[in-house]
Amino acid sequence: MPDKVKSVAEVVRSIPDGSHIALGGFAIARNAIVFAHEVIRQQKKNLTLSQGVMGMETDLLVGAGLVSKIIVGGGSLDRFGPVRCINRARDSGAIVHIDSSSLSLAFGYLAGALGISFIPIKSLLASEMMERLETAAPDYLRRGKCPFTGEDFVFLRGITPDVSVVHVPIADSNGNCWIHGPRWENEEQAKAGKRLIVVTEELVPTEYIQREPERTVIPGHRVEAVIHQPFGAHPTSVFGCYDYDAEHLKLYAECHKTPERMNQYLQDYVFGPHDHWEYLEKVGGLRRMNEIKAEAIFGY
Amino acid sequence: MASISAELQEQAASGITASEIMVTAAAHEVRDGETAVVGIGLPQVACVLARQTHAPRLSMLLEIGVADMSPVDIAVGLADSRIFYRATCWSGFLDTLGMNLHRGVVDVGFIGGLEVDRFGNVNTTLTKDADGKEHYFNGSAGGNDVASLANRVVVIVRHGKRKLPDAVAYLTSPGFVNGRSRRDLGLRGGGPHRVITDMAVLGFDNPSRTASLVSMHPGITVEQLLDNTGFPLEIPNPAPMTPLPSKEELRLLREEIDPGKMYLR
Repeated sequence: MPDKVKSVAEVVRSIPDGSHIALGGFAIARNAIVFAHEVIRQQKKNLTLSQGVMGMETDLLVGAGLVSKIIVGGGSLDRFGPVRCINRARDSGAIVHIDSSSLSLAFGYLAGALGISFIPIKSLLASEMMERLETAAPDYLRRGKCPFTGEDFVFLRGITPDVSVVHVPIADSNGNCWIHGPRWENEEQAKAGKRLIVVTEELVPTEYIQREPERTVIPGHRVEAVIHQPFGAHPTSVFGCYDYDAEHLKLYAECHKTPERMNQYLQDYVFGPHDHWEYLEKVGGLRRMNEIKAEAIFGY
Repeated sequence: MASISAELQEQAASGITASEIMVTAAAHEVRDGETAVVGIGLPQVACVLARQTHAPRLSMLLEIGVADMSPVDIAVGLADSRIFYRATCWSGFLDTLGMNLHRGVVDVGFIGGLEVDRFGNVNTTLTKDADGKEHYFNGSAGGNDVASLANRVVVIVRHGKRKLPDAVAYLTSPGFVNGRSRRDLGLRGGGPHRVITDMAVLGFDNPSRTASLVSMHPGITVEQLLDNTGFPLEIPNPAPMTPLPSKEELRLLREEIDPGKMYLR
């Protein structure tokens, strides 16, 4: 079996400016924070990001000024508040934003993953998203009819990101991945990508995967690189591994209220630490990580 | 109106809150054996109440890919692992929103929002200043999918003139847009069925497909209701009253379902 384990710095160096990156987090769950931090340190620019329900990883990248376009279904930090950096960028017109719905993103990725150029959906019809996107983004969606029944549909263009990034609890060095808990659009999002990068909390021997291969959501042969980083999603949660860090999310939710404080946050928590281990020390180290560690029965 | 004053006395005596009336009214909108897509908060509380009373075989789906969860801790949102504890299925959008909702087998969909207008259109995307400048909020997520595809859509919002305007500032999730039929709009689901607030229950069973009064919560006056609604509302005389929660419903809400009053403020 090939060993695809690489450092996050090495992986991010291979991603050119202007890439379309599909991110696999959902609000405050399983965000690839270690990946987002490294993209910010390396100042990859002019990015397009796609995601079903945006969370902190996307807010960080938009807040760092590296994103020119988002293709999304929605997003928030749950009760910790809205994705303020993204909302500010939408308000000011600083980014192009293709706003649709959760299912629209899942369908778009499914079409991409299946290698079909479009997919019909019954969502979005008669909505303002449809009205605005029909003129602003005819390359993303169009109105159409079923050739058999004549029923009205929205035809969504298949989404094929340059790079898909998924944060998982368990993978082997070949990239076979297990995901515990709900998976939102992760399977389609992962397989729609032209390249696929996984970040894993735990790196296990292939023999461990072979014991219960029915749990494999992403098979290794599709995966280009595996980044092994415990607590790599902090302060967002990884079900079965650790809870979200409410204290740090509250701090972030204060900082991203203004561009000035957001810049200070990036200085303190992204540019300051050289890598994720230093970041974890900065946010409370082993003591804090032990506090948010998942309880065996509950998984959070 | 002796019966109403008796009800009001009972309400005052047991300290029944507007939230408790609201969530019980929402629970009464689901029937036993149905499938519902729920969001976190009041819809979830309503569905758990329905399950523990008249609808033990109600199935609940969460858009992220969860079926029939039985959480023991209060969650901060859909992405909080607390919400999907002891579920019977973990999947993803393609299952819940796709092969259930899009397939047409979801009976009831609950949604909330920044605004709901007289045609039952819902806005979760943005607010506008007086000068028209847009301020973005969370967007659709699964909201548009639920509104477009569920057989009955129940909107739960707090009552207020700005929450219930004549027309939404942004149409995220379609109801009966401009009074048009769902078929005419190209949509599959049955559209808005109820708007449940902390003052009243509104419905759409009329030829103009506009929100009309189904019932007013006890203790609310017609004047209060009209003052807090941004569109004209026809009020029958006498106005029907929303049933108060039963003693057992109150006990369940207060002692078992939301003892910490996380949602039932």
